[in-house]
Amino acid sequence: MLGYLAARQAGLDDPLRLRRAESTRRVLGLQLNPDRDVDRIHGNGINTIDIEAIEGRYMLSGGADGVIAIYDLENYSGKSQYTCKAVCTVGRSSRHVHKFSVETVQWYPYDTGMFVSSSFDKTMKVWDTETLKPAELFEFEGNVYSHHLSPIARKHSLIAVGTKNPKIQLCDLKSGSKIHVLQGHRGEVLSVRWSPRYEHILASASADSKVKVWDVRRASGSLLTLDQHNGDKSKASSEAANTAHNGRVNGLCFTGDGLYLLTTGTDDRMRLWNSASGENTLVNYGKVCNESRKRLQFTVSRGCSPEFVFVPCGSSVAVYALHTGELVTMLRGHYNNVDCCEFHPDYQELYSGGKDCNILAWVPVLRTSDVEEESNRENKVTGGQSSVNPALQDAWSSDED
Amino acid sequence: MNRKRALISDTFKVKRKRNGTEKFGAVSDDGPADIKSSLEYLMTLFPRKLFNDALPQIVLKHQLYSIHNDKTLVDKEVNKLREGGEVLMFQLGFDTEAFGLVFTSDYKAKVLAGQEGKDTSATVEKFIERVVSSCTDLSFSKDKMLKEFLFTDSEITQLVKSGVLTVRDAGSWWLSIPNSGKFTKYFVQGRKAVLGMVKKSKYSEVLKAEIEERRTTSQVKFHMKYHIHDIVGAELVESIPTTSGTLLRFVDS
Repeated sequence: MLGYLAARQAGLDDPLRLRRAESTRRVLGLQLNPDRDVDRIHGNGINTIDIEAIEGRYMLSGGADGVIAIYDLENYSGKSQYTCKAVCTVGRSSRHVHKFSVETVQWYPYDTGMFVSSSFDKTMKVWDTETLKPAELFEFEGNVYSHHLSPIARKHSLIAVGTKNPKIQLCDLKSGSKIHVLQGHRGEVLSVRWSPRYEHILASASADSKVKVWDVRRASGSLLTLDQHNGDKSKASSEAANTAHNGRVNGLCFTGDGLYLLTTGTDDRMRLWNSASGENTLVNYGKVCNESRKRLQFTVSRGCSPEFVFVPCGSSVAVYALHTGELVTMLRGHYNNVDCCEFHPDYQELYSGGKDCNILAWVPVLRTSDVEEESNRENKVTGGQSSVNPALQDAWSSDED
Repeated sequence: MNRKRALISDTFKVKRKRNGTEKFGAVSDDGPADIKSSLEYLMTLFPRKLFNDALPQIVLKHQLYSIHNDKTLVDKEVNKLREGGEVLMFQLGFDTEAFGLVFTSDYKAKVLAGQEGKDTSATVEKFIERVVSSCTDLSFSKDKMLKEFLFTDSEITQLVKSGVLTVRDAGSWWLSIPNSGKFTKYFVQGRKAVLGMVKKSKYSEVLKAEIEERRTTSQVKFHMKYHIHDIVGAELVESIPTTSGTLLRFVDS
């Protein structure tokens, strides 16, 4: 570690290298920390969580009971023991609460004054965070599985919505219209995702085993339909032609730079695609257990090298290396199925929510001191472990590892 | 004190000298880093006498996953061997993901030997020369057979009769191994029996070394190790390293 710092100081290394090495080390050390907790608000399973992109301070969560809660993730208390308190909630007593389970929540990408939630009560509501009242209401014909606002859009403010209907609806925030429709799928659309690289590119996953990539400016059909065999029609049975998976495709995630797209399906496979050409990179992740009948929210780390994919797998979260496909570790801690997970890029923390009504925070474990140092400190400090964060303590030590 | 061994990224790996050379627990028998040699090792586990030497030695692709950790690398190497014409891949039919691998030379030898004296032998020879040597596809469509390889309809019927092609759907065929029906039957039977043995054990888990020693029922016709590589590679059981060796735990899915 000192080597990296010295090289950075002398200019031998690119500044990014130290940052990446340390981020990767922190992600590999993700663990449940008894000091970090998230307030327990939901009485039923948690379906979706979203951390705002501007400050990384507030987290939204939507539950199966229709309740939406906002948590403050920052620790300003000075103590290491911290519970992320719920700042406000849209509870069952609110007049505007969703009638059925909330499937997707997302912050407005540019500030936390607004957030959008969609639910199985066939509506999508755009909320004002200050007053917790919906500013806009969009109604649909079928259950809304997923919606997404483009995180980088400057020229449009469209929300892509995936519902039970095979048509993808694009709702415009500026005008309130939802006449723009993308046709092409034959089954319910389980997940939609805008590309973080190009503001007009949208990917959608459907129960008809197909994943389509669209350019919303184009009037005619999709740009690409992802094919798991890359055009090699001889590999599997002829019905599998042009499908991304051999079952329903229920999870979509772009990598941070938008160059790759990950999809998960009920055939227990996860595939990595080149998002520009639609080619299957054929990275083999092995069996990624997937039984979800709804959207699966999984996430990719940002700022590490190699990048990691965090996928909810039954009651644990599986961590895979993105490009080699090896299973790095399984994060176990939930008591029931995990439904969603979200990565906090600034602190390299992972938040996961599941049917056991808990949101767990996986925090990088602090660097352990050497054995000699520990015995030295034990002699000085009475009563075993210090409860103060060593970073806040004045513990100058001349030998670091 | 943190008892767990932390995951360390490659960039931070610190090399430490080890004092003894005693090994405990799950000793990974220094597997050959080479995919081809593991293929050859797995081929030796295939029982040739069971089929009266009429079948070439067949190995399943996912058996390689149980020996090598990196699945993507295994896939890449297998594709390289296929492009090089050394290994042929077949869709075995009982599972969309189960692919069988056979050395090309073995396959050619056995097929030609099986065809001796039959009236379809000329067509089969032609097929092997033209198609198997050049094309790495798993299946062929009618168009392709007629135009690219210039086979007539009656010749295609002869190929299906001889067992080199099996029907996939109207107008397309899988490449297949003649007389492999018996192999598939015994294999599926044996897999079910071995999985049953693991499932019936206490806590649905059994040490790998122990199950290899167990007396096999008459259902299991292959070598035990062949089946174990299969169930580990297909992720039907979880392979857990313990201090007493590798443990196989049944995966409930």
